[in-house]
Parts: sequence; structure tokens; C-alpha cells
Amino acid sequence: MTEKPKIGVYVCHCGINISATVDVETVADYALKLPNVEVARTYSYMCSDPGQSLIKNDIREHGLNRVIVASCSPRMHEPTFRKAIKEAGINPYYLEMANIREQCSWVHHDIDEGTAKSKKLVAASVAKVRLLEALESKEVDAEPSALVIGAGIAGIQAALDIADAGFKVYLVEKTPSVGGRMAQLDKTFPTLDCSACILTPKMVDCASHPNIELLSYSEVEEIGGYIGNFDIKVRKKARYVDFDKCTGCGDCAAECRVKDRFPSEFDMGMGKRSAVYLPFPQAVPAKYTIDPESCLYLTKGKCGKGPKCAEVCQAGAINFDQVDETVEFRVGAVIVATGFDPFDASRKPEYGYSDYPNVITGMEMERLVSASGPTGGKIKIFNGKEEIEPKEVAFIKCVGSRDESVGNEYCSRVCCMYVAKQAHLLRDKLPDANIRVYYMDVRAFGKGFEEFYDRVRRENVRYIRGNPSEIFKRGDKLVVKVEDTLTATPLEDEVDLVVLGVGLEPRADMRQTMELLRLSQSPDRFFLEAHPKLRPVDTATDGVFLAGCCQGPKDIPDTVAQAKGAASSAMIPLARGKVVISAQVATVDESTCRGCGFCVNICPYTAIELVTVNRFGHEVEVARVNEALCKGCGSCSPGCLSDSIQPKSFRDRQILPQIAALGVFK
Amino acid sequence: MDLEQLRKTAAEVVARDDVKYLIGWKKGSYGYRVAPVFVEDAAGVAELIFSPLCTANLTTYLTLVEKTPLPRGQEADKRKVALMVKGCDSRAVVQLLVEKGIHREEVIVIGCPCPGVVDQSLLVEKYGDTEEPVEVKWNGDGFMLVRGGEEIKIPRDEVLAEKCRLCRYPNPVISDHLIGAEVEKWSPAEDSGVSELDAKDVDGRWEYWEEQFNKCIRCYSCRNVCPLCYCQDCILDRLNPTWINRAVNFSENTAFNISRAFHLAGRCIECGECERVCPANIPLGKINRKMAREVREKYGFEPGLDPEAEPFQASFKPDDPEDFIL
Repeated sequence: MTEKPKIGVYVCHCGINISATVDVETVADYALKLPNVEVARTYSYMCSDPGQSLIKNDIREHGLNRVIVASCSPRMHEPTFRKAIKEAGINPYYLEMANIREQCSWVHHDIDEGTAKSKKLVAASVAKVRLLEALESKEVDAEPSALVIGAGIAGIQAALDIADAGFKVYLVEKTPSVGGRMAQLDKTFPTLDCSACILTPKMVDCASHPNIELLSYSEVEEIGGYIGNFDIKVRKKARYVDFDKCTGCGDCAAECRVKDRFPSEFDMGMGKRSAVYLPFPQAVPAKYTIDPESCLYLTKGKCGKGPKCAEVCQAGAINFDQVDETVEFRVGAVIVATGFDPFDASRKPEYGYSDYPNVITGMEMERLVSASGPTGGKIKIFNGKEEIEPKEVAFIKCVGSRDESVGNEYCSRVCCMYVAKQAHLLRDKLPDANIRVYYMDVRAFGKGFEEFYDRVRRENVRYIRGNPSEIFKRGDKLVVKVEDTLTATPLEDEVDLVVLGVGLEPRADMRQTMELLRLSQSPDRFFLEAHPKLRPVDTATDGVFLAGCCQGPKDIPDTVAQAKGAASSAMIPLARGKVVISAQVATVDESTCRGCGFCVNICPYTAIELVTVNRFGHEVEVARVNEALCKGCGSCSPGCLSDSIQPKSFRDRQILPQIAALGVFK
Repeated sequence: MDLEQLRKTAAEVVARDDVKYLIGWKKGSYGYRVAPVFVEDAAGVAELIFSPLCTANLTTYLTLVEKTPLPRGQEADKRKVALMVKGCDSRAVVQLLVEKGIHREEVIVIGCPCPGVVDQSLLVEKYGDTEEPVEVKWNGDGFMLVRGGEEIKIPRDEVLAEKCRLCRYPNPVISDHLIGAEVEKWSPAEDSGVSELDAKDVDGRWEYWEEQFNKCIRCYSCRNVCPLCYCQDCILDRLNPTWINRAVNFSENTAFNISRAFHLAGRCIECGECERVCPANIPLGKINRKMAREVREKYGFEPGLDPEAEPFQASFKPDDPEDFIL
């Protein structure tokens, strides 16, 4: 660098966040004595408008060419200050943040210690800032289309919003129909709208929307590329039914040799389906699918004298020669809306879910109570002798939620209300039954929730505070063993039916999605958002957004709100048509690179490739960084034996003096 | 060893238009010495030998060749290089392929199954040095020293190089031409010295290596002879940033030797050349073998066996052990 560094140091009080544990004036006085520091100031909130103006004025008046802000984590305000110094006319990458808040004031109690450490952190920044290089951000074109993975209510809503805005959407659904979990629900709390009635119009819309290409019974196989330019590969699984010819008449299922032999996934295994099936009557697309795992012809190679479905299909749609098909396309943004799995109640063996047929889960209750369910909405159970209407019903909440013993510390957020709703629906159908709910707490936090909970209690549903320890059988009754913790009374409650209010869990197959998109998990194992408060629908991968329960348990309104948020975030690059690529990326010294490709293997973003270059007449391979893909994470650098690949602004020659200034080594 | 077959094969190989030269061993200028030879035409093949004195790993020459700037318009010489390798040497070839240090189409590998070579220092110690031309041959289970018409039988264990006692791959793991029949594998000795050092406590090991590294004169012979140390610009030579000071003292010597060991983790194929050339007699093999053993036991990986393998230092599995991370 040819110009002499003129450094300004700005020490932030952050109210008392910093100044309570760090003597900011002393730090500023100290900074002023460091080499090349022209100005050192303190201010109560450096990120505020007057704080930023202070820096900008100094840049103009003192001709500063380097700025150090000693305040919070760069994750917080680095972009703020970069923008500020750019406005004052210096390169935005001539900024160094000394983190004296998260890494200093917040972790120390003693002001002398905090001050001494802040001094060192500032000195380290002074050592580095002079060595920074001017960088320029770049822009690349963005494809005006989006991929939505998962067509539950979150995916459907996100797809519709993006499509309505005029962008092309590819909506990929793993199962034969869109609709997801919401399609299985009977009524929705607290308003008791019929779930299907409010969902099916949206399902139909997303299939008929001119901007949506619905890829049902399909899975995303590969995702390459980067924000603005994701290259997607989707496998359309063979339905063995010609999509265009099938009229959805259902003759095939009616004539199937293994008719109604297999548990219906949609009815939670309580209803039956044939090997060729439509998941549920309102399924979209209304096209039949042959399940390769239950079809006689596909598993045994033989089905009587010939498959009956093919025989009866007047449209000639049955095609056993169909094979999986791969489609490839490019999108500018991706929304992950892969949903959840209900907690597997057999993991709480004390509740006997695997042993007693009359211990059922909340999801099963949804199907049982639904008019379109396997019993047509009649609440009938078999008590070992005869089919009866249950007289005594117990609900148990927090099954698989708030329970460290199964590894789920979190609250699933929907169980309190769905249990209240199911109790209400049961009360409607069984006016004389005794219904009680065993609970730890009732969390009725949403709009209209508390009112609904009150209403259900007034409907003679008893709420008993206690977490049952065991369920066992006595005669033809189930016994719930529990302590009523409000009266400290141990109970053995004899009932006919137990409904387990199971919680929500991350999907069993979420690891695949994680690997496809390089997403991270939060401690609860759901997908991790980029920031819990300020970037709740973003992920660490630019251009990839989260919607619905894949990010954490939530109810339908929250899911729809998040889906709309994700859609609007995803549309930013699509609408702009361009994306800005960070300038802090890895760079290769091609003169020393030995082309071993270690970095290519190491890079978690597949941002590096080997290219052949001409080195004074010789063809040699060297690593090259795709700046659009590189996140500047620096993983490549320690893997490079010749030290040829380094992240800009974090090069060895920039960070070693910084470390040295901390007094770690000389 | 079938010298005739070697020379016949070599003659055929060097006669090919697409071959630049063949790198092999020849008799050195005196005594037990053996020198590398670059054979460019059929006339040169008569010099080629393969004997228990052919200790050097010639693979290092593949990457030592400097790619000097070419005048504009002049094409680079893309002809292949043929190379004689023993079992251990062949693993260096494979490891270079893995790391793209060389490409398969650039080399012709002449594999020489090897019953084990001698440690020249032991030979000199036991039988004295000489300036006269002598010959050392494989003889049954041991060796035969032919000196001034006199034939001296030498038991194998008396002069066998340490790396050969530990050898698990006496036959080339890759070759285009195999000279003679494969030799029978022997059961390798225990990891001489490594377990012994492992048994010491941290202070004991530190004391041992302090003594060893204090001897280092930083001549960099170990690095220069190593077939897998081939960066054009070694970071240990760099001045900005200066990772390692030029000063020859315990601190810098240790930094150098430990850095080199880490750079070779999962890459070293245990040819023993570093230890052989060390003028200070630092037992470098012990460091590298220890590293190799850790990699083998913890990650089930052995370098230089599969040209398609993912480079160890660049591969990652979520269940990799990490109990050694402090």
C-alpha cells in the first residue's frame, strides 16, 4: 500500500452494555497513542445516525483511510459501518470491527480486566486494518424463478405468492398429492374452520396456476449453484399410471386384486387402500399412483392372468414400463417447506401405544373424528368384545414434547390447542362421555386461544394437572396412572380411549435435505434460521429460505405467515434480477498453487474447481474460486499445504500481525 | 532379479516416441554407491541395475523437474517419463496421482518387486567401506557381498534397512511393466521405536524430541528428498508471513519438523528417504510412522494404495473421531 494509513478508532459505549465493564475513554486514549491512529473517539451508540455521522465527518476532515469500530460483533453492524464509510468516500472493506461487547464486556465483570482486554483487541485491529485490501462487490444475474420443496400449506402458500407476483415456481412434493399434514386435519383451532374446506381451493390453485409447475411424487436429487443461479435436478418417480391419460375415475383401485389391503398413509393406517390408489378423495393432482411396494405385479412380477387395473382402465393409463424421469432446471431462490413428522408414540413405551389399540395419537384422532375419515366421523372403538362408543376418554398432553427423556426439550406449540379442539369435537359427538385432559401447563398464547380453551372447559371437559406415569390394561378398560398435582392425589383413572397429544419432530429424512442445501440444525434439530429474530426465514445459505414446521413447530397461521415471509424474501433477488456477491471471498495465488485439489474436496459450497492454465508455456492445473459460490468461510485455507488459497481480508499476512498484537507470540 | 528382462523392457520403453526418458538406478562412482540415471535411448539401458543397494526413491524426480519458462510459441514436452519403482516407491506414485502431482498418462511405471534393500550405514559398519567397485546381490533369504572376487554371505537381518523390516508392500501397487515375479510378503516387524516412545509420558517424549531436534541443522534434505514434498514454493521458506524463522535453534527446528510431519499426515508412504538422508541422524521415520499409524487406526486410511482415493487431508466424515482435539 502506497498511501500512509490514517486510522480512526471509534469506541462505542453501547449504552451501558460496553461502558459498564469497559472504561471506553481509557481505551480511546490508548488507541490514540497507537501508530497511525489520527482520531479516537467514544460515543454512546456508534451505530446511530449521529454516531455514523461522527465517523463520516472525521473521514472528510482528517482524511482518514482506515476505520476501526470497537463495538459489537461484526455479524451485528459490520454492514452498517461499511455502508457509512463508503458514503464518506472510502472503500467499505477498509473497516475493522473490534468486538469489545460479545467477546469482552458481556463476558467480564471486572472493569479493569474488561478495559485491558479491550485495549488489546483495539491494538490487534490497528495492526490488521493497515493491511486490509480494497475490495469491490460484484453483481450477477438472477434467474427469475423459484423452487419450493414440499407442498404442504407452507409450500403451497409460498408457491402461490411467488407465482401471483409473476415468477415461475417449481413446486416439488414427495408424495402423490399436495396438501401435506393440513389435509389430514379435520377442523382447525380456534375458529373450527374445516381444514379441507380452506385448504383444497389452494391445492387446486397451485395445480392450475399458469406460473406453477407442480412436480408431485418427485424428489429433489441435486442442488448446485448459488443465489440467483441454483441448478436443480428433480427425480419424478414412476407412478406406473400415465399422468395425462388418467381421469381419476378410480376403476383401477376398485378392481385391484389387493383391494383395500394396505394401510392408508393418509388415514394414519386406520383406513385401507389398494395398491393403486389416490391418497384421499380431494387429492391434487387427481391422478392415481401404483405403489411399487404393494403392487402384486411390481413386487412378484405376476398378478393373476394380468393386472386387473390395466384391464379395466378405459383410458389405457396403466403403464408398468414407466421409469423414473429426471428433470433439470435453474432457479434464483429456493424455499424449504418440508414440514415435520408427528412424534412416534411408541418411543414412550409406558403409554402402551404399541400394545393397546385404544391408545391412539392426536393425528389418528384427527382421522377418526373427520367425516372423510375411515369411520365416516363416527367415534367407534373395539374394546376386545364389541364395538362401542367410548364413555370415558382421556387426553394426555406433551407426549414427546418438553421431555428430555426422548431428547425433545422444546414445546411443540400446537398440542395444547389441538387437544382442546379434539376435546370439543368429541364433546359434540359424544355428549354423555366423560372427557378429561391430563396436562403439565396450558399454553394458550395465540389469537383467540385462551377464549377457546375457556369455552372447552365450560363444555364439561375436565383439565387435570398431572403427567401420567403409566397406562395399563384392567379388564376391558385402560388405566391411566397419574397424580393430580393440584390436590396431590394419586389416581388410577379407568377409561375406554386414550388420546396422546403427540408433539412435532423434525422429519426423519431431513438429513438428506440438509446435505442437499448445506443447511444447519438448531439444538432442537429443526432447520436453523440465519438469525432468530432479524432473519427468521433466511438460512446461512444465501437464496435459501425456510417456511413452516421444518424450521420449528408452529400452527397454521404462523406457518402461512412464515411462508408469505419466505416468499417475499425469495422474490427480492427474482425481482431485482441481480444479486450482489460478497467481495470477501477466497482467492488463489496461481503461481504457487500445486493443483492438488484438496481445497476442491474441502469446500463445503463446491465453490472451487481445478482449471488448466498456461504457466510460461506449460499447461498446469490450479484451483479457481467461483466468487458467486464462495462464502469466505476460510475452510480451504488450512487445507492448503502451499498456503496458496486464502480468504481476502483474512489472509495470513493480515491476521498474523493481528494475533501478534494480542501478545500471543512475538 | 532378472536384469535382462529389465534392460529389454527398458529398451522397448525408451524407444517409444512418446517417452522422454527412463529414470532408473545405475552403479555409482565407487564402493556401495548407486546413482540415479536418466536413460534416453537404447544405448543407455546397459547401465541399469536393480540391487539391494537401490535404496533411493526415484519418484521424487518426477516432481523435481523444473518447468522452466518456454519461449513464446515453443510447445511443452509432453512425452511420458518412465520410472523404476520398488513397492514402497510405487506408493509414492499412487499418492502423487491422488494429489494430481502427476497424471497417469504422464508416467510409465516399471515395477520391481523388492525383497528388501540394505541399510548402507549398517553395511559399512559391519563390513567396512571401500572405494573399490563391489556388488551386493540378493541371495536366498539374505544378501551376498561380492568384493574383489570374494563372496560374503550376509544374513538378512544383519543389514536389512529398517523400513524394509516394517514393509507391508514389497510388490509395486501400480505398474505398467512388472520386472520378474512378485515376491512373497513377509510379516512386518513391530513398529520399531514408535510403541516405545508411546509408552513414555509427555515429558519423556518431549525430552527425546528436544534432543533430536536440537541436532537438526535445517539443511532441508528431508524435504528435498521427499517424493511428496513438492510445492513449488514451500511455506517454510516464505518470508511474508514468516512461519518459521531462519534461526537454527530448538524452537524453530521443532516448528519445522512438526510442520513437515503434519503436512505429511495421511500422505507419507513410509519410504524412509528422509531418515536415510538426514546428516544429523534424526529418526524422522518415527514421527512419520507414528502419524501414519494414527491415521490408519483412527480413520482406517492408508495413503498411496488407491489412485482413486479421496485425499485424506481433504476428506471429512461426520463420524470422524475427534477425541484427540483438545
